[in-house]
Amino acid sequence: MKKIYRRPHQIRAFFVMMKYFFLAQTRNPATFAFGFLFPVVFISIFGLIGNSTAPLTIGFPATSNLNNPIITAIKQQSIVKTQVAPETQLEKDMKKGNLSGIISVKQTSQNPPRYQVNVITSTASPQTAADITSLVNLIVDQENLRAAGVTDPTITIKKQQLAGRQIRYIDFALPGQMGFALLSTAIFGTVFGLIYLKKALVLKRMFATPTRAITILLAQGGSRLIMAVLQVLLILILGIVAFKFYLPHGWITFVELLILSIIALVAFLGFGYFMAGLVNDENAAGPMVNLITLPQFLLSGTFFPITDLPNWLQPIANFLPLSFFNAAVRKITTEGGDFTQTIPLMIGLIIWGAVMYILAAKTFKWE
Amino acid sequence: MTDIISVKNLIKQYGNFSAVNDISFSVKEGEIFGILGPNGAGKTTTLEIMETLKPLTSGEVLIDNIDVTKHPWDVKRRIGVQLQSTAFYPEVKLTELLDMFAAMYDVTIDPMEMLREVELEDKANSYVKQLSGGQQQRFSIASTLINQPKVIFLDEPTTGLDPQARIHLWEMVRKINKAGVTIVLTTHYMDEAEQLCDRLAIMDHGKILKLGTPKTFIKDLLDAGFKKEVKPEPANLEDVFLNLTGRQLREG
Repeated sequence: MKKIYRRPHQIRAFFVMMKYFFLAQTRNPATFAFGFLFPVVFISIFGLIGNSTAPLTIGFPATSNLNNPIITAIKQQSIVKTQVAPETQLEKDMKKGNLSGIISVKQTSQNPPRYQVNVITSTASPQTAADITSLVNLIVDQENLRAAGVTDPTITIKKQQLAGRQIRYIDFALPGQMGFALLSTAIFGTVFGLIYLKKALVLKRMFATPTRAITILLAQGGSRLIMAVLQVLLILILGIVAFKFYLPHGWITFVELLILSIIALVAFLGFGYFMAGLVNDENAAGPMVNLITLPQFLLSGTFFPITDLPNWLQPIANFLPLSFFNAAVRKITTEGGDFTQTIPLMIGLIIWGAVMYILAAKTFKWE
Repeated sequence: MTDIISVKNLIKQYGNFSAVNDISFSVKEGEIFGILGPNGAGKTTTLEIMETLKPLTSGEVLIDNIDVTKHPWDVKRRIGVQLQSTAFYPEVKLTELLDMFAAMYDVTIDPMEMLREVELEDKANSYVKQLSGGQQQRFSIASTLINQPKVIFLDEPTTGLDPQARIHLWEMVRKINKAGVTIVLTTHYMDEAEQLCDRLAIMDHGKILKLGTPKTFIKDLLDAGFKKEVKPEPANLEDVFLNLTGRQLREG
């Protein structure tokens, strides 16, 4: 056949399309709300939750003797928050679950001073009840030994503490928020975006040009990648600046987090392409997208650790794509691990991504 | 004149249903060729096969002597395409859209100059959804000219437009045609077919019923003894409407 010309430079088309697809995203209010506003709100809330740390709250009834070594010792405990209030008020608070226990002390003799300690705990929380009981036991034992003049007890406990860093909720929650943002951008954006482009014939018009379909899809993905990197940067910088999110190795960890995010987004885009190719209608896509994303938001350690789940559910939860990412991020942040330790997890994620790209390539419907 | 489009024994089947059922026609260079037919006649399918957007079941389609099945990329470079709906990326401005399409065709253009051609230079920073129906169609036509095509395909370019916008669009189509671009359009308006097209194919149920010029169609019918019951009026309601409201184009 005569007059055969070259195909256009796909590279130029790719970069110009990516530029305008990205611009279009920045002009879309939904992108702004879901991609930037939501993460900022979530991070701020989680950052504030992380600042209140008092696992045990103990109430002293106003009728109790407050001026004795037991009460003084309890007040000195760093893990305890104490308050003095009328007994009826304290009981109400404990029933509501706002109070871990009520401790009252009665002086039974003046000289030598003898005391009786009353401990009331709630049946609703056996764990805190046990904590308070053992705390009181410990303090009472110490005071008894001191009163008996024992300075060299038969049995001593040598306590050793390893230098651990206090993990606040923000340190747990922020990696989850990164995953949440990446999965949302990759799946919601791609699925609803591509379905709109299909329905409005925008893709068809583009296919009438000599630019290949794969170039158009890659430019779409590229523009989402830029958007996702910006989101992750925002989440990280906000977490670091406003809430002192802990990076064990400073900027190296920061760069490692960006690398993990890019790999994760590319894998998650596979899910987006697969679903966008499968259906041509937003109404059909809605339930499908929720079916894929909601369980992951709940089960992948986004808001609470996978270890809090029932035992039978944990192995399944650990194999979700978002779990691999969340676990990898926590490996190098909260756990202070080495980047190489993320490799097995990221391989799990890459396998998920590869399967999705293969499925997408086999099932994608252009119209 | 040479044939710029040649369609031979074209068939397009979806399962047992033949959307296009063995049609043949050719379009000469420099023509305005119309495909006239009711909804579902197979017009859009025929157009989309010529535009390389749909594979054919059997037959042969040559555009500028290039086989659309064997060398779709070379065909795409030579044609301009306007689809039925507006079909442009939302949240991208008109000049940006033209710039993007220029990259997709791998050509260099001046987007403002292209907008001036279709009288949209004052809408350069608008989005497509902010344009009126007529403006959207004009922009759509501008986008078909980016790669200086030999043929442009317009699918129902005036559907949904008010009478003034239709007349304005016809003038634009004639202007583009005078500049040497062959035009293939589909329509289901008789007056559009009659006034705008040099030659027509009348299609229904996937078949071409008649092929020729609007004048010969009418002559053939009269020669066959056809007589309209009502005498043709010297003016019709459209003439009244245009006389009252003027031929001036309206847009916001």
